Amino acid sequence: MIDSIQNNPLTSQVQAVLSTALQVPAELVTPGLAFGDLPQWDSMGHMEVMMALENRFGIEISADTIAALTSMPAICAYLQENGHA
Amino acid sequence: MPDLMLQVTPTQTIPGFLVGEVQSKLAYVDEAIASARVDPQGERIDLTLNQPASPEQRSEIIDKVQHVVASLVEGAIQPKIQVLEDHMERPVPYRSDPNPELLARGEIFQEAQGIIALGPLLSRLMEYFESRFLELADSFGASPYRFPTLIPARYLDRVNYFHSFPHSLTFATHLRSDLDVIDHFAEHAACGEHGLNIPSQSFSPIQTLLSPAVCYHLYFALADQPLPDGQVIVTAVGNCFRYESNNLSSLERLWNFTMREVIFVGSKDFVLDQRETARQRMQQVFEEVGLAYRVESATDPFFIGEFRKQSVFQSAFQLKFEIRARLPFKDATLAVGSYNYHQNFFGRHLNITLPDGSAAHTGCVAFGLERMAYAFVAQYGLDPEKWPSAVFEAMQ
Repeated sequence: MIDSIQNNPLTSQVQAVLSTALQVPAELVTPGLAFGDLPQWDSMGHMEVMMALENRFGIEISADTIAALTSMPAICAYLQENGHA
Repeated sequence: MPDLMLQVTPTQTIPGFLVGEVQSKLAYVDEAIASARVDPQGERIDLTLNQPASPEQRSEIIDKVQHVVASLVEGAIQPKIQVLEDHMERPVPYRSDPNPELLARGEIFQEAQGIIALGPLLSRLMEYFESRFLELADSFGASPYRFPTLIPARYLDRVNYFHSFPHSLTFATHLRSDLDVIDHFAEHAACGEHGLNIPSQSFSPIQTLLSPAVCYHLYFALADQPLPDGQVIVTAVGNCFRYESNNLSSLERLWNFTMREVIFVGSKDFVLDQRETARQRMQQVFEEVGLAYRVESATDPFFIGEFRKQSVFQSAFQLKFEIRARLPFKDATLAVGSYNYHQNFFGRHLNITLPDGSAAHTGCVAFGLERMAYAFVAQYGLDPEKWPSAVFEAMQ
C-alpha cells in the first residue's frame, strides 16, 4: 500500500497539505505517517488536516470519513477513489 | 426601575444543535451577566444583567457575545447522534418537580451556588447506586484505588487541560508562609458580599487545583513507564469539581460532585471491548432499577477556542457516549454517566507504554452519584414504597 502511494504524484500534494496543516517540516510527513505519530497530529491537528484537505481538494469530508482518514495511505486512497488521482 | 435586560441579535443564526451550547457558554462572557437565554430559533439572545450598565459596557458585552457566537457557529458541523440504547419510554410513576419536596424534607440544603448538602434519603440512594457500580467494577476484577481531591497544576498542564477546559477549573491555594501575612489574615479576615476581604497577594502562587475527574490520577500514576502486564483495570470514587458559573443549578449541575469510575488502560481493542462490556452490564442494572434513559453519543464541554474542532473529532471517532436519564417534570434529560474512550491521548502525553513500545490506550466509565440519585427521585418520587422492588428492598 505504502509503495504504491509513494509512486503516486498525489502523495507530494498530500504531504504538502499535512505539512502546512500540522505546521511541521515536510520531511517529517513520511508516506506511512499516521494519526498520533507526531505530537502535532493529535485531535486538533487532525481537524486542521481535514479542513486543509477540504480547502485544497474542494471536497466535503463527512463525519464518518473523518474517523477513517487517519494515515497518509488512507488519505491518498480516499482522494484517489474520489477522482483526485 | 433600572433596565437590566439586554437583547442581542446574533450576526448569524445559531443552528438548533448549538443553541444549548451557546447558551451555556454565555455564562462565562462577562461577570455582569446574571443569566442568558437563546431562543430556540437561534435568532435572539436575551441577557439579564446583575446591575445597570452604561452604553459602553453594553456595547462591550454585545461584542463579546457576538464573538462567542461566531466562534461556535462559523464552520460548525452538526454531530451525528448515535443512539446505542433507548429506554426513554420505560414507564415511571412520578412527574412532579422533586426539588420543592426535597427542600421541604431537608434532603437538600444549598450552602452556596453549586454546593449542596444531602439528607439521609438521597445519601442512601447514592450508596445504593454506588453499590451497583462497585458490582460492575468487581465483575471486571478492577483494583480499588483511592485518589486525592487535590491535583497538581503541572499534571493538568501536561495533558493540555488548561487549553480545553479553562472555564471550569477550580484552584486551591493557601496563605503564604509568612508570619506577617498570616497575622494580618487572622486579625482582619472577614467574609463580605464579595468574598474574603483579603488581598490576593496574601495567597501562595497556585500549584494545585481541585480535581476535575477521577481517572486522571491513575494516568499520572502510570506515567513514564511500561504498563504492568500490558493492561490494568482500576476503580475509584472521588470528589470532582467543575465550575459552571451561572449554569450551576440544583443537583443537575453541581460545582462539587461525586464520581465513581471504572478505568481501563491497555491496547485499543482491550479498552474498547471493556467499554462495550461495561455498557451491556449496566443495561441490565438500569433495567432492574427501572431507569428511563438512553445512551447516545456526546461531546465534552470544551471551551470556545477548541469546541468546534474537538467536538467534531469526538463525535466522528465515537469517543463518548452519555447515559441520559429522563427528567419527566421538565421533559428533558440529564447525563448521569458516560462511557469514554480517549484513544492513546494519555498514553502519548504521559508516556504510558505497552509491551511493544507503543502508547497505551485508555477509557473509563463514569457515574455521577448525585445526579443518579436525583434522576431516580425525579422518576420515582420520594416515597420508597413506590420504588422498584430492587431498589426498595436493597435499602431496607
